[in-house]
Amino acid sequence: MALTDETDVVRTEEMLLNVGPQHPSTHGVFRMVVKISGETILEAEPVIGYLHRGTEKLAENLQYTQIIPYTDRLDYVSAMLNNYSLVHTVEEALGIAIPDRAEYIRVITMELNRLASHLIFFGTYLLDLGAMTPFLYAFEEREKIIDMFNELCGARITFNYMRIGGVKYDTPPGWLEQVDAFVKRMKGEMVKYRNLVTGNEIFLARVRGVGKYTTEQALGHGMSGINLRCTGYNWDLRKKKPYSIYDRFDWEVPLGKNGDCWDRYILHMEEMEQSLRIVEQALQQIQPGPVLAKVPKLIRVPAGEYYSGIEGTRGELGFYIVSDGKDKPYRLKIRRPSFENLQILPIILKGVPVGDMVAILGSIDPVLGEVGA
Amino acid sequence: MFGFLKGLGVTISQLPKKKVTLMYPDEKPEWPERFRGVHRFIPELCTVCNQCARICPTSCISLSGARDENRKLRIETYDINSDICILCSLCTEVCPTEAILMSDTFENASYVRDDLYLDMHWLYNNELEYERRHPDRAIPETDVQKKAGD
Repeated sequence: MALTDETDVVRTEEMLLNVGPQHPSTHGVFRMVVKISGETILEAEPVIGYLHRGTEKLAENLQYTQIIPYTDRLDYVSAMLNNYSLVHTVEEALGIAIPDRAEYIRVITMELNRLASHLIFFGTYLLDLGAMTPFLYAFEEREKIIDMFNELCGARITFNYMRIGGVKYDTPPGWLEQVDAFVKRMKGEMVKYRNLVTGNEIFLARVRGVGKYTTEQALGHGMSGINLRCTGYNWDLRKKKPYSIYDRFDWEVPLGKNGDCWDRYILHMEEMEQSLRIVEQALQQIQPGPVLAKVPKLIRVPAGEYYSGIEGTRGELGFYIVSDGKDKPYRLKIRRPSFENLQILPIILKGVPVGDMVAILGSIDPVLGEVGA
Repeated sequence: MFGFLKGLGVTISQLPKKKVTLMYPDEKPEWPERFRGVHRFIPELCTVCNQCARICPTSCISLSGARDENRKLRIETYDINSDICILCSLCTEVCPTEAILMSDTFENASYVRDDLYLDMHWLYNNELEYERRHPDRAIPETDVQKKAGD
């Protein structure tokens, strides 16, 4: 039989590939059903909900203070910000004035937590792309932040530190000096990370121009945070709708240009530097004083609907409270940035090689605890 | 090529650095004073006010008490189901007499679920153990003492 065409020799057909739910590159329990033809992805369908615990429903039977430990378990790599987002919404609803020292401690802990979260991104993203060493460097520094939090509030991941009206404890003696020493050291580490990874030719080839999307696409899918800023759209709630005391510090919002994996990576690195700047200024400005405002023992939010969003590590993190005047919310809706950010995945995965799939998923930086909620 | 060499330079510069890994089962970590491990309980201090059981988000605390000959409430049973306890420490926060506290016990994995039901006896023993390990740590000030101080 004479061969007429090359396609007769290599017979290819579409294949359905299951990535996950337990796969090291999916950063949690997340499944993708990918239809591939050879090396190219034709269709990708994310399957979520493996980590669904019904937090929103559970919250309906809990007092506002009791919900705080549950928020720790949403985005478990930046629990301080989750804590803050909930207490901030309740405080807005009640109109409580927060003591100055509490606000400073909150900003310091939130920015340190953002730093720890971005360090996880830096480590695991490079691990996804096949580089083992940066992960170890990133976790060495993250461990220091986590240890400081452990000393401050008694837990390493699930802090349960913020309270309605302030924070649970004042800082232990010597803690702020420890943070100061860490910030100074971390600045040197940032240079190290840049030398180690940012100029690496293999890394550049893997991420430049991969996983591109436009500002319109990002806005259309409700993306926020770095995933939106990487397209050049200036939207940071810390600047646009200032909350807490972020207007007292001098810092910038780093912006991307092309909306590809490279921009998302470099924005994480630049945001870490900005967080260090904020912590440094907060350490200079912090004054002694009370850390908890006078709040009633049983907190009753007046009937009505309240929403407030903060700039979480992954985007706009908001709590929407519907209250009927009781000590428990009638309904609590959580705007989880990772959940919204993941929605663009089927579109940007279409037509890319299988090898880039992990690079794209990792660059969106989802935390599955937050996606499943 | 230059980027490669820069990265290699970082790796080489790390070689003389000290190791940071703690070889866990052989070396135990040193936990800070505020660390939230499994509870410890001091029965004499408890006034059976039930606040800890009410604030618990997962309802893992159950307790009962009775009046003694002086008509004073005394604790009779105090159980924590550490299977569902999330170690949020809200119970220690509301306790007016600091009868329930957190310890630095953290290795409580078990093959049997029954081991995770901690009764008053276990919790009091944990308190004695904690005191033995940390004789220098001060007993926290109670809410009653704080009010008297004001």
